[in-house]
Amino acid sequence: MKIAKSQLFSLRSFTLISATVWTLFSSIFSGLSQNGEELFNTHCATCHKILDNSTGPKLQGVRKKWADGGAAEATLYQWVKNWQVAAASDPYAKSVSEWSPTAMSVFGFLKDEEITAIFDYADNYTPPAAAVSVAGDGAVAGPTEEKSNNWVWIILAIVFSGVILAVGGVRRQLRFAVEETETGAAKNRSYGDEIREFVYKNKIAVGLGTVVVLLILLVNGYFALNEIGVYHNYQPSQPIAFPHSIHAGINGIDCKYCHNSVEKSKSAGIPSVNVCMNCHKGIQGNTDAQKVQIAKIYKAAGYDPEGAGKYTGKSEPIIWNKVHVLPDHVYFNHQQHVVVGGLDCKQCHGDMTKETTARVVPVEELSKIEGNIPLTRATLTMGWCIECHGTKEVSAGTLNALNSGYYDEIHRRLSKHGKSLYQKMLADEKITVKELGGWECAKCHY
Amino acid sequence: MSMFENNKSIEKMNTNEAYFESRVDMSAPSLSVDEFLADEQTRESSTNRRDFLKFLGFSVAAATVAACEAPVTKAIPYVVKPEDITPGKANWYASNYYDGNTFASIMVKTREGRPIHIKGNTDFGFGGGGISPEIAASVLSLYDNERLKAPLISGSQSTWADLDKKVMDGLKNAGEITIVSNTIISPSTQMLIAAFSEKFGRVNHIQYDAVSYAAIRSANEKTFGLAAIPSYDFSKAKTIVSVGADFLNGWLLSNAYRVQYAKNRKPENGSMSKHYQFEANMSIAGANADERMMVKPSQYAAVLAALAEEIGASTLGVSSGEFKSNAQIKAAAKDLKANKGASLVVCGANDEALQMLTNSINNTLNNYTSTINIQDDVNLFKSEDAKMERFVSDAIAGKVKGAVIFMGTNPVYTHPKGKALGEALGKMNMTISTASWNDETASKCKYVAPDHHALESWNDFAPVRSFYALAQPTIKPIHDTAAAQESLLVWMGEATRAGRESRAYYDYIRKSWAANISGRLGADANFEEIWNLAVHNGMMEGPKAEAQAPTFNAPTQVKPAQATGSGTHEVVLYTKTSMGIGLQAGNPWLQEMADPISKITWDNYITMNYQEAKDAGYNVVMDQEHGASLAKITVNGVALELPVIPTPGQAKGTLGLALGYGRGENGEAIGRGAFKTKEYGGYEEKDGKRVAIGANAFKFVNFNGNYHYTGAASLSKIEGTYPIASTQFQLTAMGRTSIVKETTLDAYQNDDSTGYNLPHMLMTHHGPEPVSKFDLWASHPVEHIGHRWALSIDLNSCIGCGTCLIACQSENNVPVVGKDEVRRGREMAWLRIDRYYKSSDELAIGTKKEEFSFTALEKNIDENPTVVFMPMLCQHCNHAPCETVCPVAATTHSNEGLNQMTYNRCIGTRYCANNCPYKVRRFNWFNYPAYKKFTEINPSQDDLGRMVLNPDVTVRTRGVMEKCSMCVQRIQEGKLKAKVDARPVVDGDVTTACADACPTQAITMGDWNDTGSGVRKASEEKRAYQALEEIGVKPNIWYQTKVRNHSNEELRKHQQAVAAKRKHDIDKHAHNHAEGHNDHH
Repeated sequence: MKIAKSQLFSLRSFTLISATVWTLFSSIFSGLSQNGEELFNTHCATCHKILDNSTGPKLQGVRKKWADGGAAEATLYQWVKNWQVAAASDPYAKSVSEWSPTAMSVFGFLKDEEITAIFDYADNYTPPAAAVSVAGDGAVAGPTEEKSNNWVWIILAIVFSGVILAVGGVRRQLRFAVEETETGAAKNRSYGDEIREFVYKNKIAVGLGTVVVLLILLVNGYFALNEIGVYHNYQPSQPIAFPHSIHAGINGIDCKYCHNSVEKSKSAGIPSVNVCMNCHKGIQGNTDAQKVQIAKIYKAAGYDPEGAGKYTGKSEPIIWNKVHVLPDHVYFNHQQHVVVGGLDCKQCHGDMTKETTARVVPVEELSKIEGNIPLTRATLTMGWCIECHGTKEVSAGTLNALNSGYYDEIHRRLSKHGKSLYQKMLADEKITVKELGGWECAKCHY
Repeated sequence: MSMFENNKSIEKMNTNEAYFESRVDMSAPSLSVDEFLADEQTRESSTNRRDFLKFLGFSVAAATVAACEAPVTKAIPYVVKPEDITPGKANWYASNYYDGNTFASIMVKTREGRPIHIKGNTDFGFGGGGISPEIAASVLSLYDNERLKAPLISGSQSTWADLDKKVMDGLKNAGEITIVSNTIISPSTQMLIAAFSEKFGRVNHIQYDAVSYAAIRSANEKTFGLAAIPSYDFSKAKTIVSVGADFLNGWLLSNAYRVQYAKNRKPENGSMSKHYQFEANMSIAGANADERMMVKPSQYAAVLAALAEEIGASTLGVSSGEFKSNAQIKAAAKDLKANKGASLVVCGANDEALQMLTNSINNTLNNYTSTINIQDDVNLFKSEDAKMERFVSDAIAGKVKGAVIFMGTNPVYTHPKGKALGEALGKMNMTISTASWNDETASKCKYVAPDHHALESWNDFAPVRSFYALAQPTIKPIHDTAAAQESLLVWMGEATRAGRESRAYYDYIRKSWAANISGRLGADANFEEIWNLAVHNGMMEGPKAEAQAPTFNAPTQVKPAQATGSGTHEVVLYTKTSMGIGLQAGNPWLQEMADPISKITWDNYITMNYQEAKDAGYNVVMDQEHGASLAKITVNGVALELPVIPTPGQAKGTLGLALGYGRGENGEAIGRGAFKTKEYGGYEEKDGKRVAIGANAFKFVNFNGNYHYTGAASLSKIEGTYPIASTQFQLTAMGRTSIVKETTLDAYQNDDSTGYNLPHMLMTHHGPEPVSKFDLWASHPVEHIGHRWALSIDLNSCIGCGTCLIACQSENNVPVVGKDEVRRGREMAWLRIDRYYKSSDELAIGTKKEEFSFTALEKNIDENPTVVFMPMLCQHCNHAPCETVCPVAATTHSNEGLNQMTYNRCIGTRYCANNCPYKVRRFNWFNYPAYKKFTEINPSQDDLGRMVLNPDVTVRTRGVMEKCSMCVQRIQEGKLKAKVDARPVVDGDVTTACADACPTQAITMGDWNDTGSGVRKASEEKRAYQALEEIGVKPNIWYQTKVRNHSNEELRKHQQAVAAKRKHDIDKHAHNHAEGHNDHH
């Protein structure tokens, strides 16, 4: 039921917003249609669009359509006020009632001149000539992937090394030739002999140099190994340039509407295409860039948006690139953190209302989020997890009263049977996740 | 029901192998995790990769690090998410399993639409939801890559359209149609076959079971006028006498009998059944018996006659011969008479005369109104032996002309004349099989219309008259297969194929339930309600007929069948708990499961009396290097060469041999795990064909009115030895009191428990103190605070069946390692069942006689020893010896009492395993999910087999230790459930896979710190003890002393003396102490 409600809400708000967008760009119209515009936005825009079919049919030219269909204009007005009355009396109205299974709301309070104003507005409406940068433009620049140009350097290195070796070889041969002509004896020493000779001559320098180089390698190697599997700002390209900023930001859709298993399961869930279609069946995008992206959803869902829209049955899943990747030997459970721990999504994922596609938000940014414990280790590393577990408080009474039934018993056992330990834990006046076992290996690794 | 709109795709879960973090710090071996992590010095520095690259420019190191970068992982959500699937959450479905030989009600765990685990349906299931290892392992067979993926015509892949057309033409023109099937217990399939017969008019349906119990039906028909197999209730029997019937493994509905039997084996309830077993092989039932007597199968008749004589029943003219006035039979008869109406006599021979004699005894004991209900009869095992034998003879003689359809049966393998039958089938042109594998019979058939796996299909079953079970699919068909019933419907012209979406048989079942079954369940019942409830619960129970004593018509003279042929020995064919009749011979979990008695994996073998084998020069000492002697066994002119395993408790003059092996003799594709593999991988091959494991003992079955599973055999030793992969070569507990504790029911009820369950005390100047008081280490703060997860294992209830072993393997992704590795002692099982025989130098298992010799303990096994099964797993010691020696703190203790194993931290020193007193740690010697040696046998090396892995448990890689985690993933899941519901954890929230699977509920799991929990109570029972208590490791596993309901005066006296001595010691000290105090004053 919950979902159904929020679904309705988001659908409506979404349409309202797109209508508002139009409002901005249709201010060129006259006072009458100004009135019509207001009325349209207030009463009609939830289900109707002017130029396209939506939940209800498009409104431009509707009077002509009805007249062509043989219906009196009065019937159309009757239809708007109460469609059932109209459908009962007029055959054309009856045929219109079969256009969609969704029934139209009753607008008995609208006066005839108001209805006329709406139709006038609809008929005179022209779309804005060019959709210049609209607030909420869906054309999000696809996240760029950093391309490695190491190969250029490697090729250059090989070329230069080749050149150096060749030149060096020539020089060496020349030297030998000079020596031979000078001393009369050939001294064809190998490279090895030369190097050995050089090392022997510069024992101390070479020794020290070797130690330094080794140390540099070791230190850097150590740091390099520490960086394996650490994702700084990782934001892979995605098949659809999904703007969280529009969905969660401008439209204010709750994260849990799409990531709906976050409270039920270990995985938050990437929404299946049918969830997208709940809204995007009606919302096809305002700009070309948006339309291109939304068309990808239609392709995945096997939906043909033309006409009243229908499913072709030829669906294909969207293959996303996983952003928050944990190694396979780590067990993480969203339900534990969101439901029991009462964490908000943004505490680990950052403020998605300002993001486009998902990325691993660096810890520095996370620490600035209100209510967050400032952490230092990189996001999604084990250090990050245990740092939080070491600080986060789960003392008696700190959890939401609704969630604390389990912890009450744990605190009761502690205070009853493990007084000294409990006192020790409470030395800093709080019990942390760590103190209840949140740093133990088999809490996450099994 | 939602299975029709199933998964389009699955979200990627972390199912794959673990990889190691390179950040192993070796500096702090003895620190606890907390301290270890808290060390500030280990948390320094964070230079990011870009800086690093700047430092190094294009160096080799840079290239190496770049190679370490994790690849891009894909996440694929559903297009339309099925309503009942939540990624990351398991769904359980109630279903039922029937394979023609065994039936059970099951619960199937699915993750993202794929079944990964099976347990018994204990809430609603038939017979209390008991299952067997075979059933638990069947989830792996679903993912066997050798299962047929499309229909076959003459051995080559074809299409359903093509096959249907040819079969329909063939059936139209065939003279007679013979359907050979296993016993059909599906009411809908019965209806369908009747309709099929009506449609074609000339249908001859033969029901044939690989292991037949036809004699019970015919005996009941002759004595009671009812051709039925009655329902037995072992839970109501105070005295149980079994003559050659292994009712705890294989015999009839043993899955249910296990549950019933265990109910009456708990001494806490005030009473315990007394179980007498007369048998030749050491069977599972025999190993659990209170009194066991070794008799040859040819003596069964005389034993029953002697029993009948003693209790005053008609002997039906059978002579009791040498057993007249036998002391043990007299004792059994005395108990039977004392418990008239609450006793049960069963006989395992498929011999009408013996079964009539058994009926006579049960009738005199008034058992037909209590422990036996012939009105609520069993629908399984309707084998028509004579009809089948005639069909086979006719087929071999070329007299079968029309079409033959084989459904759920494989007579080329299971029939003694199978080879000739196979050749005959090859010459016929209208042979059809609905097998799921291209098995021995199917490969000889022209058409193969592959059936679904049981987990992919709808079906209904009526195991007994009053019980209706529904099997629902838990996954869409993986391959292009079709229900056998659908095939019949299509061939009748009553349905069309609809591929994986087909509802043909589903609709038919609903039709049949609407027409026949729902009416029987109540007149005013609403069909949809009944149906939905039946799907949800997996069953519907109809009105159950009250047991009424039928009138016994005693035939005056019956004649037990004589074994044909002659020989030096009598051979007894039996089924193993793992392999059964060999239906899942290709299942590597079952092949690797150690046999409960012999502890041998991957083989069948001849079991022989220990002394006899020794005298005849067979090898009696076996280990990694020394294999078993080989022998040639000949029965009715058929010879097999097999290793000989000397087995304590095997009757002299008898040999045991397991059925179900030797499948795929001609290399038929019956499953990846069914064939011998070479030391470095790949199959062993002979003449270009894969070599089967073991030998087919069905060739020894003889027909004498019924199929008989005993016979005369001659045995001759042949040259050479055969390597044996056994998980336990030791036979006894070597008189060590603190491993297994055993007492008698008398002593349990009347004597001081210190006699049989002596707590280990150390003498101090304060007097004797329990071992638990002394410690080298500061104690772990797990007692009374937080959780303390614990197990209690009842040695009385554990019957050794091994269901827990498979459940553990399935739950925890335990790899299969193959025979060669098991032989080297490298099996990976997290849970094993140790089997101990009594030595003649012991009073009971684990209790030495006053005079004993250590060398004799292991050598002098009783000829007919008592047996104890002891499940052994990580004891989760609170003072674990393994934890203190780990140099990298990879194994640590949790504040919930768990001994944690952290794979990504382990560097494989194996020091922990050396320090473990219980030998429960396993080392990953190889990368089992990738190394070529395990390609054929380890399911995780197969794209399809991998589907069975539990995504919540890491697949371990080479070089790390692993061991029982007490199913920590289930603990976390159970705790989370309680947290979400905002309540403390209660019993039932958390249970281990082994405890969940155990049909006898021998294992109790729970939170010991919860004073009301079952495990806390069990740990405070007077039977409770901890293995190797004296070494002071403080385990979190308790065992319950084995109590045997027999008389052992010597043991009792010894235990009384032990109790008296302890009392004396304590009193004496108290006295001294008091005096000491007086002196001071």
